[in-house]
Amino acid sequence: MDQQPQGVSENYANPKTCFFHVLFKAAALAFYILSALFVNNFVIIFVITVLLAALDFWVVKNVSGRILVGLRWWNEINDEGESVWKFECLDGESLARMNKKDSWLFWWTLYLTAAAWIILGIFSLIRLQADYLLVIGVCLSLSIANIVGFTKCNKDAKKNIQDWTRNALLSGTVRSHLQSAFGV
Amino acid sequence: MSHNHGDTIPLHPSSAQSDMDEIESLIHAAPSSATVLPARPPSPPRASIPVSSSPAPAPVPAKPPLPAASIPISVPVSPVPPVSGSVSVPIGADGFGPPPNTLTEPVWDTVKRDLARIVSNLKLVVFPNPYREDPGKALRDWDLWGPFFFIVFLGLTLSWSASVKKSEVFAVAFAVLAAGAIILTLNVLLLGGHIIFFQSLSLLGYCLFPLDVGALVCMLKDNVILKIVVVTITLAWSSWAAYPFMSAAVNPRRKALALYPVFLMYISVGFLIIAID
Repeated sequence: MDQQPQGVSENYANPKTCFFHVLFKAAALAFYILSALFVNNFVIIFVITVLLAALDFWVVKNVSGRILVGLRWWNEINDEGESVWKFECLDGESLARMNKKDSWLFWWTLYLTAAAWIILGIFSLIRLQADYLLVIGVCLSLSIANIVGFTKCNKDAKKNIQDWTRNALLSGTVRSHLQSAFGV
Repeated sequence: MSHNHGDTIPLHPSSAQSDMDEIESLIHAAPSSATVLPARPPSPPRASIPVSSSPAPAPVPAKPPLPAASIPISVPVSPVPPVSGSVSVPIGADGFGPPPNTLTEPVWDTVKRDLARIVSNLKLVVFPNPYREDPGKALRDWDLWGPFFFIVFLGLTLSWSASVKKSEVFAVAFAVLAAGAIILTLNVLLLGGHIIFFQSLSLLGYCLFPLDVGALVCMLKDNVILKIVVVTITLAWSSWAAYPFMSAAVNPRRKALALYPVFLMYISVGFLIIAID
């Protein structure tokens, strides 16, 4: 994962970012699962798991989203006091140049983590452990927030690219029509 | 060539350089389609129209670190109005200087920006300042990190003070505070008030700061009279902090209906602090 390739990229373009992207997710899941064996104190489990999940949320939202897939989302409140969700993406050219493997890793780890939390939640539900459900609820909502945010960014990005290409074609067609009409 | 660029994008300022260089080279290479709108500088933004709200000029938060109101380098759309409902497109480029943009800024800048935002939100909510007259403007830049830290801190302090059942105390404190904030917000919304969900959550979380201080003091000193005094003072402080925002959000006739549950929640947290031994 750390080799710097040449030619057609079969490797990650941003290995450090990918590493951190996966690190906090894996750490939160691993700590939660393993802590049941070692640590007897629910408070510590809760605080550390939720802290790792929150750190992961921040890293994904602010760092790996930008660097791996060129997307970013946030919320603003405008002058009228209304809440506006903003979705930001790099322009079409840079988006097309994003490393495929980076974005594959980004999206798949996002989905897998949410699925893992759901499975752990089902276990807790079966064992009727309300307090562990609380932990899982918090971690799951953080994961889902990121998934929803970036999926919306992605849809907007794709739509923008389509519209841009359509407009580019349109303006090209119009120009050629005008030229032929005026015999230039 | 693209992969050479891609391979060398680190997490550090040089990445900003390479992106901006690419953009500028694109601009110079294709002057006919000079539609790549570069980033705005991080000072008052110009006509950026978020399509999803009314067509007012861009918000100008009067804080030096321009927060996440940053600069979309979205798809080049120069003659065409923005088509997506939620992408904010900067109309009217400011020229092709190399201003930093938040999509490629170094990580440390993001961290510093978020920390500064937490501190400024705390100061706005909890300490007297001129913005309190206009509550909607004050917590414009809400964030949930501050509330998260304060709730966890309060839970930890209460749990530490308890001599038995520490885990339950923490879980209960966290759940009550989190669920309480959500329910209080829903209460205001159902009363027909105008408040934004996350802004209200953020506000109620920041207003816990005085109670955090009170809980810390009570943990260190175990005298009952002192606890009562400290808790009363910090309770009053929290309520005073929350009052303008909540009352401004609802119809004046329903102010009491909106405020009463807030006071109730803070009072019950206060009792929890006093009663823990």
